[in-house]
Amino acid sequence: MEHILIKTNQLTKRYGTVSVVKGLNLEVKSGEIFGFLGPNGAGKTTTIKMLTGLLDPSEGKASICGYDISKQPTQAKALMAYVPDQPKLYGKLSAREFLHLIAALYRVPKAIIEERADQLLGMFGLGDRVDELLESYSHGMRQKVVLAAALIHQPKVILLDEPTVGLDPASARLLKDVLQEMARQGAAIFISTHILEIAERMCHRVAILKDGLLIAQGSPEQLRQKVGHGGESLEDIFLELTGGHENAELIKSLEEGQGQ
Amino acid sequence: MKIVLPPPLTEPPQEQSFVQDFKLLLTNQMRVSWSKLRNRPVGALIGMVVLLLGLLAMLVYLGFFAYGALKTMSPQTVQGFLSLLFMVGLASQIFFGITAAFATLYMSDDLELLFMSPVPLKVVFAVKSLAVIGSNLFTAILFAFLPGVFYGLLFKAEASYYILVILVGLGLWVIGTALAELINLVVMRIVPPHRSKEAVGFIGALAGIMIALVFQIPNLLISRKDGVNIGDWLAGQEQMLDVMNYFPWGWGSQALVTGISGDFLAGLSWSMLILFLGTFLFVIAFTLLERGFRRGFISLSQGEGGRRRKKRATVVNEKLRQHGNTSFSIINEEVIGTASPWLGMWAVAKKDLLSMKRDTREWFGYLVPLIIMLFFVGQFLFSNAESSRASLITVLIMYTVMFSGNMALQSFGREGESDWLLNSVPLAGWPVVWGKLAAAILPTLLLMEALLVGTALAIGVSTALTFALALGAVLLSLGSSAIGLFYSINNCRYNPDTPQQRISPSASMFMYLINLFFILFLALGMIYLFPPDELTSILQKLPHITFEGGFLSGIIYGLYLLSRPLFWPTTMRILLGIIVTGGVWSLMFFGFMSATVRQSRKGFRVELVTGRKKKKKLGKSKKSR
Repeated sequence: MEHILIKTNQLTKRYGTVSVVKGLNLEVKSGEIFGFLGPNGAGKTTTIKMLTGLLDPSEGKASICGYDISKQPTQAKALMAYVPDQPKLYGKLSAREFLHLIAALYRVPKAIIEERADQLLGMFGLGDRVDELLESYSHGMRQKVVLAAALIHQPKVILLDEPTVGLDPASARLLKDVLQEMARQGAAIFISTHILEIAERMCHRVAILKDGLLIAQGSPEQLRQKVGHGGESLEDIFLELTGGHENAELIKSLEEGQGQ
Repeated sequence: MKIVLPPPLTEPPQEQSFVQDFKLLLTNQMRVSWSKLRNRPVGALIGMVVLLLGLLAMLVYLGFFAYGALKTMSPQTVQGFLSLLFMVGLASQIFFGITAAFATLYMSDDLELLFMSPVPLKVVFAVKSLAVIGSNLFTAILFAFLPGVFYGLLFKAEASYYILVILVGLGLWVIGTALAELINLVVMRIVPPHRSKEAVGFIGALAGIMIALVFQIPNLLISRKDGVNIGDWLAGQEQMLDVMNYFPWGWGSQALVTGISGDFLAGLSWSMLILFLGTFLFVIAFTLLERGFRRGFISLSQGEGGRRRKKRATVVNEKLRQHGNTSFSIINEEVIGTASPWLGMWAVAKKDLLSMKRDTREWFGYLVPLIIMLFFVGQFLFSNAESSRASLITVLIMYTVMFSGNMALQSFGREGESDWLLNSVPLAGWPVVWGKLAAAILPTLLLMEALLVGTALAIGVSTALTFALALGAVLLSLGSSAIGLFYSINNCRYNPDTPQQRISPSASMFMYLINLFFILFLALGMIYLFPPDELTSILQKLPHITFEGGFLSGIIYGLYLLSRPLFWPTTMRILLGIIVTGGVWSLMFFGFMSATVRQSRKGFRVELVTGRKKKKKLGKSKKSR
């Protein structure tokens, strides 16, 4: 059951002489929720774009469900879904039309498109607005449409870039439940987020990227042991590893100063 | 809630052929286009129909013009004429194709979505390229197909000749589009993703100006006394026409000329050569495009900036590192006294000026008067008539007023979705309004003063008049900008798709109307100051007029009374002139400024317009706040 569904081998991306991702080696197994963390500009989105085939790596390779994303992109893409941080949709299509389009692109049989689209849109609370144009949707509603579209073709791998941005608490909770259910059914979930609480509660394993380099990888518990203290939250570990603890200490000292 | 999800796929679905994927994406593209059309407001649809009718009328007119021109030429000259038309057509296709390619291949919001779907990139680019080809259809019909058709009709060609027309037309159409896509690759490489919208606005505006220039050329030629004969001109350009034969446009004309002479095979060879070159260029463009996107040579417009952004970030980080912990100590510092509101006013002005400087689309607002002036100066130089001088100065004055008002109209709409900022800072009232006025008027004045003085010097106006014009421009600009600001604060809007349209059309119309009255009343005061000899001599001959009741008589009598001060003693007349001019200007300027300040204190809202729906942000109306 524990197949490796996402694998990168020395994955590197360079723009001119500047390397934004440096020799990344990752493995995400079936049924695993994998958190991808890092400060702004660490290379998270570039990595996701290479995994989704939106960018060609400068070096190394990435495979999805055993298919090399550069050599067999069609097969790899057919088995995965991507949820970007900024949902760019066709403003002049309705949510229903959009889901039908995505289903057609992913070759979902016509007979079940209608039922599944309605089911997913209903699940995300969009049932009564399915025929409205997407241009009239708020950011959160668009995000829900993208999430529904990501699930319509039963992907084996889901890559999410800051998926909870713009979602209300109920929808964010629903998303977590959906992802956990997907993982339980054997899908691999790759989630990039800044909300460390989500990563700590949901993810089986996390990886921390800094300046394009993978600086830590493992379960939150393993990371705690690695840092060598114990009892810290993932936020403390993250700040310690990425150098953000200096700022945290400064803020703490300011708070103490105000308290005096 | 129990979540019921179908289990993930174990195997990818069976692959489809290129044709199946192409049909799928094309259907989607057409569905989106149809949906866009269906959801346009009725006014826009009517506008499109009117535009289409206008284009058809132009097509018919140009067709007849070309047909008439062909009739008067010898066969050799016809070949040159056709070469020339094909060359102009190719240039137009490349130019307009670049805009279309840039918008379709770089700025299209659906690219990321399509790249992510399990459809080969080749299919995505095939559909997108089809859209670019489609955008060149009108230019191709006009400059690649119709000349051949008219040529055939004129010389009563056989049916087989029209096969050559189709082949040549198709070849030129594909060459134009392929070259546009190739040049667009360079443009996409130069323009960073975050400035793509500006770039397309820039290219579009450039295209608009070129069209305006092209349409003005016949006017300028017609106004020449000696006239221009294209046939005669071409007959004297043998060397140039010979050189043209080495290029695709020359091959096209040779194909048609040999074809119509009965040598179908020779014509076919030339046609196939064009078609082959077109296909070859298209394949190169297509391959480079696909590889460019895949390898990150070209990034999606919604992507990251890459190298440049990275380097800048490093510099900033270095600066922060040098400051170290001191940045946090600011929080603990004691509160110092507030600075002068003039600083806030200048901050508002500077923000707008920087925005104008950094957004290339803003520049075109200032280029339009330059181009219009260029035409008037051109016409003045061409016709060299004395009457042109007076009309040129009048146009300059009128334009100063309208242009200033128009630029001020953009002021509050420029805030776009950031309108909350100026409403939330403790600056509302005169610092904001005067800041906006300063930003609107500084570049306008600089440009209009340069234009007025430059044109006045170029056409040889006296120094006194030049000085008066310069002073007048300042006053007119200030007054007109105050009117513009008032309408801007009350009617500003923002549409993310067309961010340069920042005002409702009705408010714009009203602003122009009020400006006309402003000029009219100012002109009255100016007449008292500098009475024109022609007017006083006419008025002297007028009999005494009395009010006989009724509206018309009232108006005539009113005008009569207004004209009387022209015959007062000079001191009294000038005094009245100063009072009227100064009074009208002060009333308009300070009146509209204080009304704008009052509205700024109440708060202003930029109306958000998206598609056919428009909504007010935060509250139903300004008054409800």
